[in-house]
Amino acid sequence: MIEETMTPTERTRAAIKLEPCDRIPVAPLMDVMFPSRHKGMTVAEGIAHPRRGFQAIVDTFDDVGGWDAMILPGYSLPVPPYISAVMQVVIGDTRYPGKDPGISEDSSPQFIEKELLTIEDYDEMIKLGWTGFAEKNLSRFFPLDPELLLAWTKRQMERYKTEGELWKARNIPSLCGGMVMSPLMFLSTRRSLVSFTQDLYRMPDKVQAVMDAMVDDLIKFAIEAAHATGIPGVELILERGGCFYYPLKIFERFEFRYIKKMVDAFAAEGFITVMHLDQDWTLNLPYFLDLPKKMCVCELDSTTDIFKAKEILKDHMCIMGDVPASLSSIGTPAEMTAYCEKLIDQVGKGRTGFILSTGCTIPFDTKFENFQAMIDSVKNHLPA
Amino acid sequence: MSELANAIADLKEDEVKQIVQDRLASGADPMSIVDECRRGMEIIGQRYKDKEYFLGELIMSGEIFKEAMAAIEPKLKAGQAGKTLAKMVLGTAKGDIHNIGKDIAATLLKAAGFEIYDLGTDVAPEAFISKLKETGAPILGISGMLTPSFESMKQTVQALEAAGLRNKVKVIIGGGIVTEMVRKYVGADAFTDDAPEGVELCRKLAGAVK
Repeated sequence: MIEETMTPTERTRAAIKLEPCDRIPVAPLMDVMFPSRHKGMTVAEGIAHPRRGFQAIVDTFDDVGGWDAMILPGYSLPVPPYISAVMQVVIGDTRYPGKDPGISEDSSPQFIEKELLTIEDYDEMIKLGWTGFAEKNLSRFFPLDPELLLAWTKRQMERYKTEGELWKARNIPSLCGGMVMSPLMFLSTRRSLVSFTQDLYRMPDKVQAVMDAMVDDLIKFAIEAAHATGIPGVELILERGGCFYYPLKIFERFEFRYIKKMVDAFAAEGFITVMHLDQDWTLNLPYFLDLPKKMCVCELDSTTDIFKAKEILKDHMCIMGDVPASLSSIGTPAEMTAYCEKLIDQVGKGRTGFILSTGCTIPFDTKFENFQAMIDSVKNHLPA
Repeated sequence: MSELANAIADLKEDEVKQIVQDRLASGADPMSIVDECRRGMEIIGQRYKDKEYFLGELIMSGEIFKEAMAAIEPKLKAGQAGKTLAKMVLGTAKGDIHNIGKDIAATLLKAAGFEIYDLGTDVAPEAFISKLKETGAPILGISGMLTPSFESMKQTVQALEAAGLRNKVKVIIGGGIVTEMVRKYVGADAFTDDAPEGVELCRKLAGAVK
């Protein structure tokens, strides 16, 4: 066991600010699903009972001997309580375990890819702006009393704050008080990948006009949420704009210009941006050198080359990741230890600028002994 | 390379439509038009390998190919449409209702000349086995986006063994989270997280079982 001379908050902050750490910090991207199953509940129970679900996270934290930071404090959503903000969440078709056909009690929620927004919606968004569009079309996506929706949002926000405060009392920092997608991520997932891709090629100017019409609102929602929760950071959810999907000319025009605008705005508020980068972004990494230094975390899911990320970004931003989901789910503790030690040695070189984490959210069928091996790896192994 | 193949390779959607329409109106052999479209798709595959094209271009080309085929197919004589590389049964594993990766793979595989039997999402092992028996397809593709799909994939391979089909059917698994570790766990013959690579692997598997 390595002798610790820093608190989890000091250690995590040092890693993000590229300053030396006593050891590499570890911060899994945690939700209620794996902890619920670990504590004998089904995934459906954990989701349906937020207090019990959150308690399962806390108990799992204790069972494994603790980790250094929460990326998000729990499973609530930090959304400011007004219609245009909530509509980002309401427009979507997610199927839930135990509630929807085909999703068993012990499965994760699954997002259905379909065309929820139309090309006519593009025209309306350009004309009315995001807020005007959202207020006009709420009933189309949420046919119940809007007051119910706003009350739900307020409860989510209150819970988010409470969860963050609980971790703070344990001296465990939560990194993100706001959460938002880039315009491209939002539109691709709500138009569907195939239709949105056709839009990019058939009507690029219109797509850009829609993005221009919504980006300032997205920035505003995230900043307001981070202020309201008192957690000075934003989780920027990104997947569909990287080199797995599109060439750099599309990334530059439809994704990076908005990422930069968003990250710059968050940094101006003093907020760290955790860029949640699913899928492969290896060719996009050099662009991140244009983002504010020491104000971002590059959170990778194991499909981007994390070693290349370290090589390119080592003097600029902290790297986080990237234990593959398959390793957590069907690997062995020895395989987990070997992989984590490789990350610690190579990405954690210099004992800074790296936070060990799960590649995306921890799978709900993670073997506890594998998770234990992941958490223990940083406590027992220093970079070579 | 023909004008049509080049138009497909350059993603010139309107031009492809026009050329196909003109060729059909002039009485050209519909099968030769299909072959030219497939040559265009091969160029797309090469550009993807060369990192000139990405998934977005594959999606676009797949949709252009589909539109072209919709115009050509009614003109194909009986039997011509059956001229395929190999039959293949495809679906997303039981417990997983994601369709996007599977659908993109299906489009590209069809464009490459495979005859696809797409069973959709949340497909039980017995449904895969039943369709393999019915069609005699030598290749099974199972897609998965969630870790529990590994278990469903494994059960399907076990069901293939129990049905005495394992030595007649090659199994490929695909999805953003599959790895060599998952392939071994499942007992599949190949894995991919990349649709064009999946097409290449299926071509090899088709050769291996002929």
